[in-house]
Amino acid sequence: MKQFKSLWRWVAMATVLGAVSTAAVTHAQAQTAPRKILVVASNQDVPNFDPHVATGYSASALLRNLYDPLVRVEGNPPQVKPHLAESYTVSPDGMEYVFKLDAKAKFNDGSPVTAEAVKYSFDRLVRLKKGNAWMIAGIVDDTSVTVVDAKTVKIKLAKPFVAFPHVLPWLWIVNPKLVEDNKGADDGQTWLKSNIAGSGSFVLKRAEPGNLYELEKVASPWKSGGGNLTGAIWRIIRETSNQRLAVQRGEAHMALDLTSEDMDALKDKPGVVSVIEPEFRTFSIKLNTEHGPLADINLRKAISYAFNYQGMLDSAGYAQLMVGPLPNGIFGHDPKLAVPTTDLDKAKEFLAKSKTPNGGIKLTMVHVSGLEQQRRIALVLLDSLKKLNIELDIKPMVWPDMVASTASPDKMADFFPVYQTANYGDPDNIAFAAYHSSRNGNWQNPVYKNPKVDALILAGRAETDQAKRQTIYVDMQKQIVEDAPDIFGVLEKRKLALRSEVQGFIFTPVASNAVEFFPLSLK
Amino acid sequence: MSPQQSAHPSRWQNWQRSLYRFRQSGLSIAGLCIVLVLLVIAVAGTWIVPFPDHITGGINTAARFKPPSSLNWFGTNELGQDVFTLVMAGARVSLIAGFGVVMIAALLGGLIGALAGYAGGWIDDVLMRLTDLMLTLPSLILAMAIAAALGAGLDNMVFAISMSWWPGFARLVRGEVIAKKEDLFVQAARALGASNSRILFRHVLPNVMSPIIIKMSLDMGFAILAVAALGFIGIGVKPPTPEWGSLLSLARGYLPDYWWTAIFPGLAIFFAVLGFNLLGDGLRDLFDPKARR
Amino acid sequence: MIRFIIRRLVLLVPVFVGLTLLVFTISHVLPGDPVKLAAGPQATAEEIASLSREFGMDRPLPQQYWHYATGLLQGDWGQSVLTRRPVAADLKIYLPATLELVFAAIFLAILIGIPAGLISAMTANRWPDYLTRILSLASIAMPRFFLALVLQLIFAMSLAWLPLNGRFPIIDLPPPTITGMLTIDSLLAGDWLAFTTSCEHLLMPALAMSLSPLATITRMMRASTLDVLQQDYVLAERALGLSQSLIILKYVLRNAFSSTLTVIGLYIGWLLSGSVLVETVFDWPGIGLYATKAIVTQDFMPVMGVTLSIGFIFVLVNLVIDLLYGVINPKVRYQ
Repeated sequence: MKQFKSLWRWVAMATVLGAVSTAAVTHAQAQTAPRKILVVASNQDVPNFDPHVATGYSASALLRNLYDPLVRVEGNPPQVKPHLAESYTVSPDGMEYVFKLDAKAKFNDGSPVTAEAVKYSFDRLVRLKKGNAWMIAGIVDDTSVTVVDAKTVKIKLAKPFVAFPHVLPWLWIVNPKLVEDNKGADDGQTWLKSNIAGSGSFVLKRAEPGNLYELEKVASPWKSGGGNLTGAIWRIIRETSNQRLAVQRGEAHMALDLTSEDMDALKDKPGVVSVIEPEFRTFSIKLNTEHGPLADINLRKAISYAFNYQGMLDSAGYAQLMVGPLPNGIFGHDPKLAVPTTDLDKAKEFLAKSKTPNGGIKLTMVHVSGLEQQRRIALVLLDSLKKLNIELDIKPMVWPDMVASTASPDKMADFFPVYQTANYGDPDNIAFAAYHSSRNGNWQNPVYKNPKVDALILAGRAETDQAKRQTIYVDMQKQIVEDAPDIFGVLEKRKLALRSEVQGFIFTPVASNAVEFFPLSLK
Repeated sequence: MSPQQSAHPSRWQNWQRSLYRFRQSGLSIAGLCIVLVLLVIAVAGTWIVPFPDHITGGINTAARFKPPSSLNWFGTNELGQDVFTLVMAGARVSLIAGFGVVMIAALLGGLIGALAGYAGGWIDDVLMRLTDLMLTLPSLILAMAIAAALGAGLDNMVFAISMSWWPGFARLVRGEVIAKKEDLFVQAARALGASNSRILFRHVLPNVMSPIIIKMSLDMGFAILAVAALGFIGIGVKPPTPEWGSLLSLARGYLPDYWWTAIFPGLAIFFAVLGFNLLGDGLRDLFDPKARR
Repeated sequence: MIRFIIRRLVLLVPVFVGLTLLVFTISHVLPGDPVKLAAGPQATAEEIASLSREFGMDRPLPQQYWHYATGLLQGDWGQSVLTRRPVAADLKIYLPATLELVFAAIFLAILIGIPAGLISAMTANRWPDYLTRILSLASIAMPRFFLALVLQLIFAMSLAWLPLNGRFPIIDLPPPTITGMLTIDSLLAGDWLAFTTSCEHLLMPALAMSLSPLATITRMMRASTLDVLQQDYVLAERALGLSQSLIILKYVLRNAFSSTLTVIGLYIGWLLSGSVLVETVFDWPGIGLYATKAIVTQDFMPVMGVTLSIGFIFVLVNLVIDLLYGVINPKVRYQ
């Protein structure tokens, strides 16, 4: 083997070279940035920056930093605070709002935020009927908003709506001039998709769809105060465990989509602050009350009593069981409401009264593929139904397909799980969206309808006397429990993780993962 | 050479020689052992696992995320299900799915290849251009797109993967059929007036079976891998089907703290693929000594 | 030679036309209504119809294909129904990321595989050889996504030696985009720190991807080196007095080159398509993740774009490899 000697040397040299270059690579140090840039980890991309079209919490988060609404919401319980409007008045009948705009308020191109801009924005939202337009559908129309003077705007509601100030933080004001200049054939939708025409404290600096969005603070925001951030990065990290590790390693300052397991793993980790707070976000399983076996109320009740509520709570981790249709703690919620608990005897009693007294049927549950919590609850249901000799077929679907299936009762699965986040801290939000029959064919309330409940919801919407309003909602909850249209699920706590360097964070239980960057500072 | 007389004994001798070589090759034997163990687990799975009801979706939320112990050899998962039970049950799912993929691919590819090879002319041209084009497409992305469009479920997944798997078989079978078409016995059959389909199915195809079977066994491991890959991407089976790739995909979220939920399904995929690869290599040497290196 | 190249290039035309036709057909045979999905939950029939008109999906299929194919010629790869971004613009962002990963994987496979194959051949049937062969068998059976997870678990989560995921530290600005491949861009910008940082991010995903080609290169190098050592002409040239190591080096280098070419040809499609698995684990913003997102939302223009671009690259790379074979081995005549 003598002839190999020099070849050996050659091989050895190549190997050493390779090893050296690899080693040099691994020992490089990460750069440290002198700027104060907040890095937020989220699993949601922002497909659209049009404030009157975009939906989803990621869009809400970025839009509320790039644009300004008339009022903002902050604190726990949430309080309405002045913003573009430095003050507002309400007529005694609750039908007319007059907003006085802040004299300092200006768009980021330097032009002032005028009453005209407010009218333009509301009209555009109403005209497009997209994004958050549903929040004021039927309440504000194209004649509602009138300009009183340059800095005063009046909104006359078409129907009474007590929670009106609570939806305003999600209705943003655009710069009419910029939109008009780039109007195109679609009311500026193409342009606003990726361009910003706002007055917010931040502007969009860098957009890498599917990866990250970087915001930069404007040199002199019209609003005074605020934290020391010079910018913020919305970083898309799909896996929650990777979000958690990013915070743990200091690569991100805030993680927004953590699971209970992540929170457990973060316990006692240095430099990490965990936020685990109750929030008005319900998870429940809608039953198909109109079509198929679950149109039978006795079967629905049997299932409500057979369901393993403790199992659901265990697998949800940081959560509490819902008591009835409304989130615990919201105005009008009745904590003493008698709701089904796991009781197999009672379940079998109801099953005996149903059309299939011995079970032996197969039901279907859909869930959003990839949404782990929904998959777990589906398995809890499967396990519970076995005790009634009922089989469950679990179908993971993409969300748009699920939404499409709610168009008519015969397309809807027997079980349809739904998360609902209250966008405003008022019972009307969930009551109307999830139980009023006008929302049938919609994912929040595909099929359930009861004229009595409809009447109570409308009465609750219009009632300005708090005590009377409370009674209305208590009655409504009783009636809904009686009809058993849902398996009432859990209120998952909001689980966020922050680096301890982040200061000025105030938890607000409405859309709390849509974080406002302005008040925040980095140590 | 006079094939009529010596074919039998020499084939038998070849067999014996090959079998001897197979037995001599430790790796082939190891592959065979792994595959046999997998088969036993797949067949007996439901009876030998400690928590059979977990296979069909039974849960025990009081015992979530328990580390490996004498009770739960591979620990428990997010719903308190026994990971050992799920991994064992996954063997059946993966074997059936893998077999389904190579079977459908072999049938479809075989049919297309046989038709192209036997018919020749423009039919051959069209079918083979299609096959070549299919081979240039990214198979995994194609399978993902088909599976996602059809919806979750083992059957859809198997179908989707085989749709990008058949071209290999088509090429193989076409080549073999063209070679066999001109053989004496086929020409004799044709002279006797046998119909085309009879010649193809009775005389040509049976004689090209062994390369098909070798390719099927070689592909089996990679088919299992493809199934797991689709499950890992999240376009896979319906819950509660315990499919290895899906189990691994779920477990990603529990790293590093609950590592056992990921490591064991991952190792299961690795060993299954390894076993079939080793066995496939061994079988190829057994049937096709020319391909040996 | 020139005529051969021209002929091969001309032959590409029907291949590309066939590819577009095939991809277009497949994506239209599959169930799913992207327009309805993109229009959103609250969309009315009217809105869906107008969106469908906007994307030309109300027209007959042959007309749609014609529109798509002629668009491709002008660099218009269609538009995502969901994000309304042009697919070509998206591919320009995501394709370089995936290509960088694929190149790095091939680079690692060559860097490790060639010496490993040589060592294996030179120690044939002794323990380094056995070890290499067993490792390469294991490498082929190892699922990329599982290896990726294990690497991440060990080197990022437990030891924290390497970054967990992504291509570049979030808060730092990457080097100015020229090729879109961060390692090359940072070298072009003369930014050594950015180069090492992007290499750190690249190392684990590239390693996870390189395993199968690595095993194949090792096997081929081993076999071809063993061949060379037994060939008559080696003996002959040795007799003529050429320095021994020079002889071997010459043949070994040629073999290294040709096995590298073969492996690239074999694996380019596999790497491009399979990168989705590794990209998923490392949140690597490449075409794999891009395609996954589009597939899940049944947004088929991006899926067609990704499929076609991989198909085109596959065909082109194999053409170049065929030509290079001729360069290294003049026995292959161009016909």
